[in-house]
Amino acid sequence: MPYPTDPLILSGVWASVILTLMVYSYVLYKETPVFRFAEHTYISASLAISVVVAYQTLSSNAFLPISQGDMTYLIPIVLGLLLYTLPFREVRWVSRYPLAFIVGVGTGIAIRGSVHAQMVNQVLAAITLPKAPQPIDWFNFLFSLVAFLTSTSYFIFTREHTGVLKIPTQLGRYMIMLALGSYFGNTILFRMSMLSGRVEEILKVFGIIPWR
Amino acid sequence: MAEVDRRVLYWVMFIALAIPFINPLGLPVPITEMTKAVYDKVESLGPKNIALFSIAGGVSAWPEIAPSMVAVMRHLVKREVKIVVWGFFTDQDITVDMITSNVPELSTKYKYGEDWVYMGYLAGGETAVAALASDVHSVFKADKYGTPTEKLPLIQRVKSAKDVDLVLTVDTGSYITYYIRHWNVGKGTPVAEIGIAMQADQVVFYPANLVGLLIGVRGGAEYEKMIGRLGGGTITMDAINISHLLFIIVIALANIGYVMTRRKK
Amino acid sequence: MSSILRRREIILFLTGIVGGLMIFEYFFAVKEAAAVSSTIQKWAIIISTFALGLGIITAFRVHLSHVKKRTKGQWFFSAWLMGFFVLLTVIGLWNTKFVVYDWTFKNVYVALSTTLYAITGFYIFSAAYRAFRVRNIEAAILIVSGALILLRNAPIGEAIWKGFPILGEWVLMKGQVGGMRTLTFVAAVGLVAFGIRTLLGMERGYYGGGE
Repeated sequence: MPYPTDPLILSGVWASVILTLMVYSYVLYKETPVFRFAEHTYISASLAISVVVAYQTLSSNAFLPISQGDMTYLIPIVLGLLLYTLPFREVRWVSRYPLAFIVGVGTGIAIRGSVHAQMVNQVLAAITLPKAPQPIDWFNFLFSLVAFLTSTSYFIFTREHTGVLKIPTQLGRYMIMLALGSYFGNTILFRMSMLSGRVEEILKVFGIIPWR
Repeated sequence: MAEVDRRVLYWVMFIALAIPFINPLGLPVPITEMTKAVYDKVESLGPKNIALFSIAGGVSAWPEIAPSMVAVMRHLVKREVKIVVWGFFTDQDITVDMITSNVPELSTKYKYGEDWVYMGYLAGGETAVAALASDVHSVFKADKYGTPTEKLPLIQRVKSAKDVDLVLTVDTGSYITYYIRHWNVGKGTPVAEIGIAMQADQVVFYPANLVGLLIGVRGGAEYEKMIGRLGGGTITMDAINISHLLFIIVIALANIGYVMTRRKK
Repeated sequence: MSSILRRREIILFLTGIVGGLMIFEYFFAVKEAAAVSSTIQKWAIIISTFALGLGIITAFRVHLSHVKKRTKGQWFFSAWLMGFFVLLTVIGLWNTKFVVYDWTFKNVYVALSTTLYAITGFYIFSAAYRAFRVRNIEAAILIVSGALILLRNAPIGEAIWKGFPILGEWVLMKGQVGGMRTLTFVAAVGLVAFGIRTLLGMERGYYGGGE
């Protein structure tokens, strides 16, 4: 692909790279007004997009049904507006009603969903024998089972981790470290791919690598 | 060695990431099981099937998830699968624009409303996912552009999770867990994830519930290879190679220094 | 009347009833409960959409006070933040395809969003150099498993030694499963316990506690 020549696109890509360098000035040099400007620009843009998208969503999914005659949608709209009393101390108590509603629904749904998927299914998966097992499958099954049981024993806080609990909890710590180490490795992939995306953009716009 | 100014380290990383873009290594990217599983599932779908493309990741994660999103969308379009798109991030419109500009078949080959549809943004997190699993039409009254659902033939076919043949959730957080809880365990709908790398650790132990998983930009590069159209994921892998090697070297150096310091004491 | 409406028992009762209905509807096939639950979930989604605006009110209160007080080194940025927000919001509400709005989001927002998120890549590199020391067995296990995952994720691992991706794949798909499964299981137990306490009115933090 050739380097863009359209003024609108060109101005956009250069603005994007200049803003990137403004943000990186904080890391690669020190905090400057240039970084603060970029930071505040981002905050205002993300707040603006929240308002616009929220309005569009409400138009489609709340105001439209009201315009079609379904007045029950007035109830959540009124409750939603009552949320805006939260920042004001004198009338803050009004916002507790919509908050209670959201918290009740969210809590109920989280409980009912997690019992099966995150508790029952996890125990079943841990104790399910491998199908058509090779020796390595048996090793993996036993390793996972032992890791699960010993790591879970680490989270027993009603007894001190001494005596019969000493070895399983110690082993459990090692298993948790194994899991966290894996998480750390994947976090690095995530952070590095984010960073390389921006580096590529800078190189493209400065013409050091071909535009693609 | 321990007293090195961290800005020196930042510059080292910055330069190290730039080099492979200028002089690519071109190392092959082996395909992993989890990516192949997603590919095989999409390959098994056809024009009579409906896939849900749920966007639960923001623009900020594009370098990690955009290659996978584009590659999977290209595959879905190649298989002529019907696609319903909705999401939970306020900036998802920009993501949908990016996908449609990289997959022009969505405008040229597909008819909006019949072959694919973009329903827009929903707040509410798990509540929204659970509500959609039971009754899509009670939640969405119109698509993103204000067209009532009665005028969209594709969304008329999707009343609940049972009408969807595959959920592809583009995820940077917990939405995969919500879809597993309410769509898969609740309704039996197959679920696959296009996720950031950290998601891998959090979902690989759901083998019965998850079809497969594209792990970060590596998953994107693998999928691009599988569909035969290399793109942004493949290009980024060279930078990933160098950065990861640098990490190993730095951790090794730091620990060698630490051991030597301890021995002196 | 307002003194009755302010009573926390009403709030706790509302939370408990709504949450209890969500759980009841899931485990018992009662048509009427399902219909009411579906309506309530729909309402919760709409109310949550309004919550997006709360952050804006708080942000504006903070920045407006900086502008009023002419806080040195800050007030100009606060004024810029509020002015730019108003401009973009007005244009966006009018027409999201208008060139200023479209250009700003595709070039300014995307660039800043990805860049600010990517900045942590630098920090994790400096942390790896300064903090990751093999001080004990746990640290050694963490670093070794992390290194194997790094060499699994980057194709250069296979170029160095064919065994690295095999070991890394094992760590990811089998080795860490037990530990992560535990963290998920234990988190779910905690979630259920905290959730039940909330529905029974024992947790009051969400509405401001003892006011």
